[in-house]
Amino acid sequence: MELMKLEIITPNGVIFDGDVKQVTLPGSEGEFGVLAKHATLVSLLETGVIVYERADDREVAVAINSGYVKVDEEKTTCIVDGAVALSGEDSDISKAIEAAKTLLKSTESSSSAIASAVAKVEQIGKSF
Amino acid sequence: MANLKEIKRKIGSVKNTQKTTNAMKLVSSAKLKRTEELAKRSRVYAAKLTELLNEIAAKMQQSNADGIDNAYFKDVPNPKKVDIIFITADKGLCGGFNSQTIKRAKILIDEYKAEGVKVRLRAVGRKGIDFFKFNGIELNDEIIGLSAAPDFKAASEFISEVAESYVNGDTDKIILIHNGYVNMITQEVREEQLLPVDTSKLELNSVSTSELEVEPDDDDTLLDALVKRYVEYTMYYSLIDSLAAEHSARMQAMDAATTNAKEMVKELTVKYNKARQESITTELIEIISGMESMK
Repeated sequence: MELMKLEIITPNGVIFDGDVKQVTLPGSEGEFGVLAKHATLVSLLETGVIVYERADDREVAVAINSGYVKVDEEKTTCIVDGAVALSGEDSDISKAIEAAKTLLKSTESSSSAIASAVAKVEQIGKSF
Repeated sequence: MANLKEIKRKIGSVKNTQKTTNAMKLVSSAKLKRTEELAKRSRVYAAKLTELLNEIAAKMQQSNADGIDNAYFKDVPNPKKVDIIFITADKGLCGGFNSQTIKRAKILIDEYKAEGVKVRLRAVGRKGIDFFKFNGIELNDEIIGLSAAPDFKAASEFISEVAESYVNGDTDKIILIHNGYVNMITQEVREEQLLPVDTSKLELNSVSTSELEVEPDDDDTLLDALVKRYVEYTMYYSLIDSLAAEHSARMQAMDAATTNAKEMVKELTVKYNKARQESITTELIEIISGMESMK
C-alpha cells in the first residue's frame, strides 16, 4: 500500500509527522477518509477524532477540538487548535483519555459532535 | 580620612548594584529559555497556518480574475484610516528594546500623517503607553499586562475587536509593529500588515495541479474562519516573539551593566588604596617631623 505524509500541528507543537497508509478526519461536512494521491482539498475540521494507520499497520487516534486540514497528492496537513494523542503505555492511556475528554468538552461546537467524539474516545479506551 | 570613607561607601553601593544586575540577568536568561521554547513550538503552527492561507488565497486569485471577493482581502489603494498596533514591554531596563519599537512607530505615524491619513494607535505594553501619553499623543487602546504574559485568549479578544472595526469599515489597514527575537544577542523591529491580507506577496508554489476543493463549499465560511485564526495567531505569536526579544535584550543590558559595575569596583579599589597609602604617608611624615622637632 502506498504511503503518504501526514502532519498534525497544534499551537503547542507537532503531534505527529510521518508516513501513514490512510487517515480518517472529522470534517465539518462529515467524516472522510484520505488515502495517498487524494485530490487537493481544504476543509474545516470539527470536534472529533483523527484516526490514522501507520506504516506498521497500527492505528492511532488523536482527539481534536477544531481546525483545518489541507490535503494534496503528497501530503495531508492538519492544523488544529488542540489535540491529545490517544496512544502510549497502559498507565498513560487513561490519563490521555481523560485529557481528551476535557478537551472535547471545552469546545463550543454542537453537543452531538462532542457526544459522538467522547463516545469514540471511550471506545478506544476500552480497546486497550 | 573623610575621602577614604566616602570611597568605601561608593564601592559598597556599586557592589550592591552589581549584585542586582547580575540577578536580573540570571532571571532574564531563565525566562528567555522558557519563552524561546514556547516561540519555537508555536512557530511551526504559525508558519503552517500562513502557508495554508497563502495557498488558498493564491488558488482563489487564480480562479477569480478580478481578485478575491472577500472583505479580508480587499486592498484599499489609498487608505484613509490606518490602525497601528505596537507591542512594547511593561518594564524597562532592557536597553534600546522599547525605544526602537517606539521610534519605528513614530516614523510610521509621521509618514501617514504627512499623507493625510488618519492614524489610530493601539498600544500594548506600559512603556509605549507612557511614551505617547507623555508626548500628548492620543491612544485608542491601552493594554497593560499582555506583553509580559502572552495569553492566547486575551490576545485574540483584543485583535478580534480590531479586526471587527476593519470589517465594519472603521479602518482600512491594520499594521502590527513589534521588536522580534532573532537570536540571543540580536533583536529586530518587525512591521507587518495584518489586514487586509497582503496578496501581493502571494506565490503559488504547490506541486499539486488538481483543482482545489473547499469544504464547506461556500468560499467565505472557510476563508473567514482561516483569516480570523491567522490574525489571532499572528497577534499571539508577535507577543511571544516580543517577549523573547525583551528577555534577550534585558539579559544583554544587564550583562553589560554587571561588567561595567565590576570595572567600576576595580577602579574605585585602586583609588581607595591610593588614598589609604596617602593618608599613611601623611601620618608618618607628621610623626617623624614631630620627633625631629623634639630633638
